Amino acid sequence: MIQSIIKRDGRVVLYDEKKIASAILKALEAVGCGNAQDAAAVANGVQKRLESLYGTNPPQIEAIQDAVESELMKHGFDEAAKAYILYRSNRTRIREANTTLMKTIDEITTVDARESDMKRDNANIDGNTAMGSMLQIGTAGAKSYNEAYLLTPEQAKAYREGDIHIHDFDFYSLTTTCTQIDIIRLFKGGFSTGHGYLREPKSIQSYAALAAIAIQSNQNDQHGGQSIPNFDYGMALGVACTFERIYREKLKESLEDLTGSEVADESMDELMANVEATCGAGPKLDRDMAGNKPITPGGNATREAVEAAKKFDSEVVSQLMGFYGFSAQTAGKMVETVRRRATSRTARDTYQAMEGFVHNLNTMHSRAGAQTPFSSINYGTDTTPEGRMVIRNILLATDAGLGHGETCIFPIHIFKVKEGVNYNPEDPNYDLFRLSCKVSAKRLFPNYTFLDSPFNLQYYKPGVPESEVATMGCRTRVMGNTYDPDREISFSRGNLSFTSINLPRLAIESKGDEAVFYQKLDEMLELVAGQLLDRFEIQAKRHVYNYPFLMGQGVWLDSDKLSPYDEVREVLKHGTLSIGFIGLAETLTSLYGQHHGESEAMQQKGLEIIGHMREYCDKKSQELKMNFSLLATPAEGLSGRFIRMDKKRYGIIPGVTDKEYYTNSFHVPVWYPISAYDKIWKEAPYHALTNAGHISYVELDGDTAKNVEAFESVVRCMHDAGIGYGSINHPVDRDPVCGYVGVIGDVCPRCGRRAGEAVSEERLQQLIKMYPEVATFCGCR
Amino acid sequence: MTEMKNTLNAAKTGEGIEFERIRRITGYLVGTMDKWNNAKKAEERDRVKHGLSR
Repeated sequence: MIQSIIKRDGRVVLYDEKKIASAILKALEAVGCGNAQDAAAVANGVQKRLESLYGTNPPQIEAIQDAVESELMKHGFDEAAKAYILYRSNRTRIREANTTLMKTIDEITTVDARESDMKRDNANIDGNTAMGSMLQIGTAGAKSYNEAYLLTPEQAKAYREGDIHIHDFDFYSLTTTCTQIDIIRLFKGGFSTGHGYLREPKSIQSYAALAAIAIQSNQNDQHGGQSIPNFDYGMALGVACTFERIYREKLKESLEDLTGSEVADESMDELMANVEATCGAGPKLDRDMAGNKPITPGGNATREAVEAAKKFDSEVVSQLMGFYGFSAQTAGKMVETVRRRATSRTARDTYQAMEGFVHNLNTMHSRAGAQTPFSSINYGTDTTPEGRMVIRNILLATDAGLGHGETCIFPIHIFKVKEGVNYNPEDPNYDLFRLSCKVSAKRLFPNYTFLDSPFNLQYYKPGVPESEVATMGCRTRVMGNTYDPDREISFSRGNLSFTSINLPRLAIESKGDEAVFYQKLDEMLELVAGQLLDRFEIQAKRHVYNYPFLMGQGVWLDSDKLSPYDEVREVLKHGTLSIGFIGLAETLTSLYGQHHGESEAMQQKGLEIIGHMREYCDKKSQELKMNFSLLATPAEGLSGRFIRMDKKRYGIIPGVTDKEYYTNSFHVPVWYPISAYDKIWKEAPYHALTNAGHISYVELDGDTAKNVEAFESVVRCMHDAGIGYGSINHPVDRDPVCGYVGVIGDVCPRCGRRAGEAVSEERLQQLIKMYPEVATFCGCR
Repeated sequence: MTEMKNTLNAAKTGEGIEFERIRRITGYLVGTMDKWNNAKKAEERDRVKHGLSR
């Protein structure tokens, strides 16, 4: 007679046949056969079986479950037995997940981030701080829950075993990835952050401050980065406000100087109102820099600005003559000075605003202080004086660096390159494109997006900024719109979720058989699309109130038409579901023995694979009227995850699993010697296929990068090759002791010390004299 | 990136202060490489420069 049993934790408890019968009944009900009587009969059989095996010794819980399985089958309940087995294995998985979770939390709590690779999974979270650790604990808990309860067994297996990677898995049930924030629409009439209402800004300083707040607020509603697609167009409105105010101030001051008495605000109001009534607008800039010539070449916007300014000023002159009886010469001289001073002050304010913006984005916190917001800004195509003033000054502020001259990590700058706007020497913003090359050669930003590449040009409409492709941070691109073909725009949209496929594994498993590879690839695409749709279902069921800024403030396209308790399902469909991939180079090597950098034949094979994946996404989009797109995955955490598992499974395969990382998306391997031009031309065709986003880099040595001509020639090559988004890498080192920024080998070229070495007090004093522009010498004084 | 005032005070003339090395990790930058994960560190180490000859 069985009287007691041994539980998993070793405790001995009384044997209770009722409990067993009730578990069996659940299994029977799950498959819709049998009743309580059957359950009792099976439970009785279980007891007899246990008695014959154990006598009076208490059995382990696992032994009881084995007996239940056997008895269910013996009684002919095969389906119920299967359901019971599945239930058991699922419970085991959850139990093991709990144990793993506790171990993970233990590691987060006690191990230094320098020793723990897991804590450096995302380099922008400081795993050593209290808030960073709390975020990582939350992440670990959410991942564990999501895997156990939200994935189907097939999806969970594929994710766990490294066939696929579900990005931002911790946020699986909570939110979506990213958005291009249209700041013009957001600022209009003011907005609320949830902690306070902000009025529509009235100066470039408040425009810039609010832009940073908008990024910060939206970052708390989503798990990815935040981007402003129209930084120049948006900030230009703030510049215009500032110029208008300063012009009036300067005019008042000049009048007071000349008349020797105070000018009442009322008479200024009257004078300005008269001018504005005639001209239809307030004073506007006619150039983007004091001392600069008015911008003459280029677009209508610029010519109009120059003419409007001339008209405005001459109207002010005639008012001054009428009001105060000045001669035409005196009034003319005065207005000229007013304009010059107002332009120069506005430029100075703009620089300070841009400097503040950059400092803000590098120091402000989001997500409970664990991270600086992951921010991007796109600019380059606004040719108005105001827009140009913004572009010039954001570049100059980035060039100057932070307080100790450090390179700014955020925002990511994306310069939009367009023929007729800034690409050719006769284009109105060509000077700013040149400036961007100089800054990027020193500070690694801006990156470049190319609006002339055919897959971007097809959407471009001159004078319509939302038709210009903009990029989100590391590479995300949202443009086409199968759900709503009239809204093929970059503004107010973003990615919903993305999952990447371990391509090299599919190749290894196919053992060189191309047909098998494509069959496996199709199965995997189907699995990923299903998983993305399952996740969409979770995301779609959430409400406007779950995204107080993103949806509540109307940042996301069409969310302004919803009320707080509405589901977000329909408007979310403007976003993209993206299928990503890693390791095309290793895939080709595994299948055919070479990668695409090595031969033209392999390049064709590579394009076939990626083209096949793109076709699948297009087909799925049409079928469901949703936006499935193909992503050249930004592999940070992922670069090591898949290959670690594949090494364990398949051992070291030369050219495939013999490194510590799989090659990023479709890149030619980083270690493979190839010229910049060949690399660009090899990778460009993949940009056309990866409509969810892509990036190509070229690595230059420090000296080449400093040569702006050489730098520009690489950017031009990217443009001509049809690259969508690209950047140029070069080493940027800094010695915190003497403030030197540039390439540092073993020895600092400025102060001559090696890493970790001290410089003498004497030498430090010399350096301070020689480089007074360096704010502090690492606080050594 | 995070220069701690107290360590800087301790190191009067730079002793123990490393050089900062900023690299592009994917599309973005990260303040100094000590925060990179091991795989990305290995990848960065293996990167070769691309010449400008055609």
